[in-house]
Order: sequence, then structure tokens, then C-alpha cells
Amino acid sequence: MSVDADLIYLDYAATTPLDARVAEHMRRVQSEAYFNPSSNHAGGRRSAAVVKKAAEQLGELLKVDPATLIWTSGATESDNLAILGVAKQREHRGKHLVTMRTEHKAVVDVFQHLEKQGFDVTWLAPDPDGRLPPERFEAALRDDTQLASVMHINNETGTVQDIAALGAICKRHGVLFHVDAAQSVGKVAVDLATLPVDLLSLTAHKFYGPKGVGALFVRDGTALQAIMFGGGQQRRLRPGTLPVDLIAGLGEAAVVAAENIENDLARLAVLKEQLLRGIRGIDGLHINGQEEGGYPGILNVGIDDIEGESLLLALEPVCVATGSACNSLSQEPSYVLRALGRSDLEAQSAIRFSLGRHTSSADIEQVITIYRTAVEKLRNLAPECVV
Amino acid sequence: MFFADPRHRGDVEGGAVGYFEDQGLRIRLSAEVRERTITRLRFRAWGCPHIIAAAEAVCRQFEGRPVRELEQFETGQIMQDLAVPVEKTGRILVLEDTVRSLGQAIQDRLTTTQE
Repeated sequence: MSVDADLIYLDYAATTPLDARVAEHMRRVQSEAYFNPSSNHAGGRRSAAVVKKAAEQLGELLKVDPATLIWTSGATESDNLAILGVAKQREHRGKHLVTMRTEHKAVVDVFQHLEKQGFDVTWLAPDPDGRLPPERFEAALRDDTQLASVMHINNETGTVQDIAALGAICKRHGVLFHVDAAQSVGKVAVDLATLPVDLLSLTAHKFYGPKGVGALFVRDGTALQAIMFGGGQQRRLRPGTLPVDLIAGLGEAAVVAAENIENDLARLAVLKEQLLRGIRGIDGLHINGQEEGGYPGILNVGIDDIEGESLLLALEPVCVATGSACNSLSQEPSYVLRALGRSDLEAQSAIRFSLGRHTSSADIEQVITIYRTAVEKLRNLAPECVV
Repeated sequence: MFFADPRHRGDVEGGAVGYFEDQGLRIRLSAEVRERTITRLRFRAWGCPHIIAAAEAVCRQFEGRPVRELEQFETGQIMQDLAVPVEKTGRILVLEDTVRSLGQAIQDRLTTTQE
């Protein structure tokens, strides 16, 4: 059943509820290890040990050496550090960068900022299902390309990129490869022991951890410049007092995730299919993103001739998103869906259902009924085009 | 409330019609008029929740009122009553145009009747 009895929460791609075990662990840390982990006394060492443990836990989930992890405030900061840090570090070798039009704003805005700084960015368009063919990616790489950034799972459509293939291409060309994995870490297996990825961003609140903490994986030998200055913490790459309780929460969330990934994926696949079956027959409905093979926790659908904001309101108490949560303040149609070839109107009517650990089959049945009723209500309200 | 329960949705068969389409919005008002009083007022709208709510609010305001009161429609008042964000002013102006269109349609019918 849903976490909150008054709402039917299907916006897990925006954020997830704090896992009870994680909350309990954080509470203990808050009272027993509140010390500054940089302090040179017994209390500081106690907090430092908590941080070290959390790094080991996250390292275990990602199959990496804990020393390769930098704590940040979340995926947005990790994206900024990775992209700006590498671009600036390597600009003397070349100023060409590659990314996709469908990246999260936390990546898009950084690349746009670099363009204004004189960097040359190639913005790759996906296929209509959101996927980036490896050959198109490889064709974009040049002798002066320093960094490519492609997200693992798209936050709006659930499209999964073949980061293994893209990473291998980067390796062959001597290009550093960054992956925004905010939607994948803790939800699908991410094995950095085998994936050819140089930098990877993640955030705790997408996998039942606390908000305000994330990490950046930086593979050994990958140099980058700091973008914040202030103290010596974290090899001077990310100064600032570490939020011990948040980091502890992230570590515990990583442990809980490892225990639940397989089960979650199997459940989500069944629930997504149930949802799709329930609404597929509605006239004018279309799927945005991969029909097969996408992440099972996200389903993005558009519907002809329905205004998106009205649909969102008519769906209440179902909590879903039109476009990205980070863009909810903007009335603009989703640039991700526009990049998939959708018109402004089609993009604007899109609803993203994102399912999670607490979503039940009963929730899905209710959502199907509410969605169908909302569409019928709005269609019955609309006038014909001419008097 | 107006969006959730638009009880004036629909059409008045054979009634006077005002219609306007702009900025991606479509609004249709239809009215039954007897002795210069709007006895029934209905709407259809395609647009954001504020527009649907505003169209319902217009129907509640003017149904049962003299036709001449349509001239008193005020964009600012309805924006205030429904807490319409200022960036949607243009959309409420489309509703204003629809109200004017309805007023003109009613006048045309009344003039024709008199002739």
C-alpha cells in the first residue's frame, strides 16, 4: 500500500520515502556520532569511522574501492563537479565535449555554461524511443574530445542507455566517460568493476535514502579540478564538513538497496505491465520512450488533445509528474520529449508514472480508474474546434 | 472547487454561442436567454485548470442575471477570486473575448427577434 493513506504516490523518480531502517540508523548516528569527522579527537574519530563504513557500504553496492568516492550534496553537485572539474582539468588538451539533448538539467545547464566559456559541445539527439545508438555516439567523438556525459536511466522516460557500449567507445578514443546514474544506483545493478565508466553521479534520495547527500565516483587516475574551495576535506576536491548522519543514511540505503534490487525490479515489471494494460486501450494514448527494455519503474505516456496541467490536477490524489520534477516551475513542454520528436502539445500532455517499493497492485488499479475518468472528464469538457 | 465540480459544463442546445480560440486555448459559452435574462449558461473549455475554473465561475456569476451584466465581466476580479497566476493573464483575456463574443451573439439574436 502507499506510504501515505491520503495520496497515491507514483512519483518515485522525483524522490523516495526514507526507508525505516535508514531513518533509525541516521537517528542513532545523530545522537551518538554528531562529531566533526575532521576533528582530531575520539569523537571525531568515531564520526570518521561512520563515514568510512558508509563508503564501504556504497563501495560494495557499486563494486568499487571506497577511496574512489567523493561525498557531495547530491547528483546535481556531483554532475557539476564531474563535468566542470574534468573540462577545466583537460582544456589544454582540447575543448570538445559530448552529451545528449535528453540529459537532466543538472547536466544540460553545466554544458551550456561551458559553451559560454568557449567549449565546443556536441548535443546528440536520441532515436524516437530515447536510445542513443553507439555508432552515432562514436561518430561524434573527435581528436579534441575530452569528456562525454550520458545518463544511465532517463528520469522522464525510463529509457536505459547502453553505457557499457558507450563507455567502451570512450575508452578506445581516450575520452573520459561520465554517467549521471541518479535514477539507476540502488534500483538496478551498477557494477563499476566491469563498466568502463570514469565518473558516476548518484544521490541518496532516489533510493530510499535522505535528501541532501550523494556521491561522485572518480576512477583512479582520473584527474579533475575542484569547483568549491574552503578546506582540505576529501582531497581538497570537495571541501566542507561532512554531514555524517546523511552519509550514514546513504550507506545504509545502499545496503538495503542491495538486498532489494532483484525483488524490486521483478515487482515493478509486473506493476508496470498492469498499469499499461489498464490504460493502453484509451484512444489517442502513446508511450514516450522504450516500449520494451526500459526501466520498469517509469512509464511515460502522452494522450492526444488533453491539456497536461488539467490532467495532472484531475488525477489527484495520484501524485505523478508532467515532465521532470526539476522543471515543474516552468510551463514549458518537456525538452526531453521534444527531443524524442513529440510536438509541444504532445509533450505537454505527458504524464510520468514512476513506481516504487511501496506501490501496490491495488494502487495501480485505482490509478487506472482515476486516469481513465480524468481523460474522459477533460475530453467531455472540450469544445469542438469550430462553432 | 470550480475545476473539480464544473456543473455548468456542456451546451445549451439552440442557444446563443460565444467562442474564442487563442494561445492554444478553446472556450465556448452557450446561453439560453428569456426576456433579456440569461436563464441557462454552459461552457466547454480546453486549457489549463485555471481556465476551466474561470469558465465555470463565469457561468455561476452570470446565469440568472440580466444580459447587460455580461459587460461587467472583469478580468482582474476573476484572477483575484481564483488566484490565477499573473503569467496566465493572457489566458483569462481569451475568456474575456469569449464572454464578449457571447454578448454579441445574444445581441444579434435580440436584434433579429425585434426585426
